[in-house]
Amino acid sequence: MKRVNTVSASLKFLAVFLLLAMPTLARADSGWALKQSTLTYHVTHPLHEVAGASHAARGKGVCQAGECNFLIAVPVKSFGSGDTNRDLHMLQIVRGAQFPMVIVRAQMPESELKSSTIHANFDIQFAGQTAQFKQILFHLTDHGDQVELKGTIPATLTDFKITPPELLFVPIKNQIPVTVDMTWQEQK
Amino acid sequence: MNARPGKFTLGYMILALFFLAVIPLHAQVAQGTLSGKVTGPSGVVPYASVTVKNLTSGQSKTTQADKTGRYSVSKLAPGEYEVSVKAIGFAAQSGKVTLAPGAKQTLDLKLTPELSLESLGFSVAQTKGSAHEQALLNKRSHMLQVHQKLGLITFFPLVGTLVAATQTGGRRHPSSTGRNIHMALGSATAGLYFATAYYAIFAPKVPGVEAKGPIRFHKAMAWIHGPGMILTPILGAMADAQANKGERLHGIARYHAQVAVVTAIAYGLALLSETKPNWIPGLEHHAVAMLSFHHHHATLSAAKHPAAPAGGPAMALAGQAN
Repeated sequence: MKRVNTVSASLKFLAVFLLLAMPTLARADSGWALKQSTLTYHVTHPLHEVAGASHAARGKGVCQAGECNFLIAVPVKSFGSGDTNRDLHMLQIVRGAQFPMVIVRAQMPESELKSSTIHANFDIQFAGQTAQFKQILFHLTDHGDQVELKGTIPATLTDFKITPPELLFVPIKNQIPVTVDMTWQEQK
Repeated sequence: MNARPGKFTLGYMILALFFLAVIPLHAQVAQGTLSGKVTGPSGVVPYASVTVKNLTSGQSKTTQADKTGRYSVSKLAPGEYEVSVKAIGFAAQSGKVTLAPGAKQTLDLKLTPELSLESLGFSVAQTKGSAHEQALLNKRSHMLQVHQKLGLITFFPLVGTLVAATQTGGRRHPSSTGRNIHMALGSATAGLYFATAYYAIFAPKVPGVEAKGPIRFHKAMAWIHGPGMILTPILGAMADAQANKGERLHGIARYHAQVAVVTAIAYGLALLSETKPNWIPGLEHHAVAMLSFHHHHATLSAAKHPAAPAGGPAMALAGQAN
């Protein structure tokens, strides 16, 4: 009986030890994939309000040790405003043939992905320039293994050294806010 | 002489005793080994660099996995370690592990590919920029900006020509001064118009782009005002010749005014289609109505003035385009 108790105690000790010693690396792997998205830029001119949207973004997120890295990319030419002429002019103004992708890199704690709002820091590579955006508010809606993320990036033309195009000799406004609506799927 | 070596011998003995006392104490702490295999999504990742850092002492040891992805770091004191892995093409990763005294712990490391545009499924062709294509776009935009500005400038002599026409047209004996002003403004309009057209027609085309939106209406209007701008001066010259002879306008010269008005309307609509403010809705949908109104108005005028019948070649073109 005493021997049985000793074995039981040893097994308990082993179990506790294994739990403590379990390497965190093995359980930290998780990822996210962008399922669908709508990115819309907004341009303002005294005579016009123009919005150009793209649904062609692709993205991935990799979470390790509680920290997630995201990469999102979208072809510049995939943005459409409903007018070919205007879209081609946009493509020229933003040097879209020379730098055909908009690339976003973000890093955030994994725990934030389960909250209702996040303040994200990210870099946007666009028109041959990289601009940093800090503490940008996004609203998250949890749909089980999917998360919908909505927000507005307060981008400006000067962030990317883009010369404002003109219509009737009047330039457009410097602010080109980009509204974001993305649905991410958790990959386990 | 002999006392000095004796002191040295005593010193060495004390030192030796000290080491003998310390070494067994050190040897009592059993050292552990951390080993495992580095893999990625498609199997073994060979030659990854594995660094094990003791979080208490700060000391670290680095080893390289072999071609089968196996690594081993031995002689590790018990404690908490940070294990970091680096391999080409994979995201650097790190994690923590607690090593028990004398443990031979296995830690398999799974790497994920570094986030890249290729990993998102974009081809190199999609992500690679083209200076040639950018140069083509730059040239196109430059020419179309000149087109836009010349087009706006053209609008003013065009309106002037029409206003001057009201001083000459319809009169049986218009003054030669009035006709001269009308002709001079008309010539200026035609010259500017063809310069404007040149910059649109010869702007480089971007292959594989299908026209969408107001630009389609803008281009459709060109099929009206283009031929109209050719025909109007010809008919005007014929009308002028007839007027110089004191003749009543006859033949196709009678259509000069109608063709000019339809041309001007089509031109104005083309201009508006690309510049109109947001608060003017659906311009292209109203265009047909406007041209129909002109047709109706001209028909009424023709009923009152049989010498200047409504319609004509330009009106026929307007009908085709819409």
